[in-house]
Amino acid sequence: MSVELSTQGQVLSASQVSAGYDGRAIVHGIDVEATPGRVVSIVGPNGSGKSTLLKSLVGVVPVLGGSVSVGGTDITNVPPERIATMGVGYVPQVDDVFPPLTVKENLEIGGYLLPRHQVHERIGAVLEFFPRLKKMMTRKAGKLSGGERKMLAMGRVLMLSPSVLVLDEPTANLAPLVATQLLEEYIRGFADAGSTVLLVEQRAKAALRISDWTLVLGGGRVVLSGRPDDLADNPVFVESFLGGGAHR
Amino acid sequence: MSVFLSSLGFGIISAAVLAIATVGFTMQFAVTNVLNLAYGSVMINSAFVTYFLNIHGHLNAWVALIGGVATGSVASYLLNRFVYTPFQRRNLAPITIVIVALGVDLCGTFGLQAIVGGSYFTYRQSQGREWHFLGMYFSTLQLTIIAIALGVMIAVAWLLRYTRLGKAMRATSANPNLARNSGVRTQSVISTTWLISGALAGLAGTVFAMNTGVFEATSAQLYIVLLLAAMFLGGPGEPYGAMLGAATIGIATELSAAFINPQYKMVIAFVILLGMLTFRPYGLFGSERTA
Repeated sequence: MSVELSTQGQVLSASQVSAGYDGRAIVHGIDVEATPGRVVSIVGPNGSGKSTLLKSLVGVVPVLGGSVSVGGTDITNVPPERIATMGVGYVPQVDDVFPPLTVKENLEIGGYLLPRHQVHERIGAVLEFFPRLKKMMTRKAGKLSGGERKMLAMGRVLMLSPSVLVLDEPTANLAPLVATQLLEEYIRGFADAGSTVLLVEQRAKAALRISDWTLVLGGGRVVLSGRPDDLADNPVFVESFLGGGAHR
Repeated sequence: MSVFLSSLGFGIISAAVLAIATVGFTMQFAVTNVLNLAYGSVMINSAFVTYFLNIHGHLNAWVALIGGVATGSVASYLLNRFVYTPFQRRNLAPITIVIVALGVDLCGTFGLQAIVGGSYFTYRQSQGREWHFLGMYFSTLQLTIIAIALGVMIAVAWLLRYTRLGKAMRATSANPNLARNSGVRTQSVISTTWLISGALAGLAGTVFAMNTGVFEATSAQLYIVLLLAAMFLGGPGEPYGAMLGAATIGIATELSAAFINPQYKMVIAFVILLGMLTFRPYGLFGSERTA
């Protein structure tokens, strides 16, 4: 795997973060620390506040309490466009591309902060990483399949060589085989190359397989956290996320 | 046949003026999410600035036009900065912004009328010689307006497709949050969009007044119907669709004026608007997302 696409990771740290909409907290007092070379995953049932937490870390949702930092710099409630300049790449769960723009234009917007002469070079690097996109450069992003679209969304954030990748359910709506490839080959690969990866994932079992540390959210709070092996031995976790009907 | 061709000629000129206006109007709507019903008011106020520079400033009308364009640009920027943005920050329903825009339009139009009165005005400008093409008649002035419209269309298409700003405008229009996460300073993009689309309103207002020959403070009051029809025909927020929509509406209204009744011009535009809203609310170029 090419390692030039991302740069050496920085620590993304959230301390006692509460965040939500219209002054009402959805998540309460969350502590997270994602470090370089590691995948930290967040799992939990729908409505547990996973996406809200990620959005608050990247400036999309206001932080109502606590603090967030990247590489020791406080980014609490810093606008998203400034957080992007600090090496944090964010792929949202939905609306992760610009549908009316072509694949090439999506990548160009991903490289918006780069000097003009570097954009073309970076697109070349991203295309080496996701060669399937090569043949689709003039196609509108809205016409891509789920897997192609997710590759483009990842490619877009890689344009800025992020040191921290924040990914919100990157496998949502993907076929199982594509989801496994995305998680095990690409996302784990970023961490192995030295990046920091913070991942929200519905497929708990798959998330555990690639993670170094996992948080379990419930009702907007951390209800469990630990190394994947330890969680896999925890009967409460197994019952809720890995066993019976909840197994994904 | 000769009536048809001469009406078609009028239609082409109307379409040219309407195209300049609609491209600015739809660009504004796409990027800023404001249906600026005060657009017609900005147009006519800009036309009057051109008039005062032309008549009282003794400037050539084409030079004075620069003042009209600048007025549209600055007025639109200020309108957004001091009227629309404060309302948008309060997260009010979109209909509230529409009502605010309607209020601004009335204030702008009748405020202007209070200043200039109810008289008719005309620029000091020659129509130039008459040209004949395929049974259609155009003055040099009208051909110049058509050339300006074509130039504007090419410039806007180039801006949106090939420039960094244009791509940022389209990205902001499609997904503002994602654009911000990509490092695009969307507020700056939105402000620039108001400046550009306002300049187009100023240009459209002046060439509209040049084309009609005589104009008054309320001349553009119903123009918003044509703008809405052209925009919805092409697809809301679709600049390329706006060009096609303007061509269709401009020609259809002038042909209807020749064959039905000139007083039904706006009615025809309104019927087309209703038809589009009923059968294809996202227009010819738009997708369901833009409806």
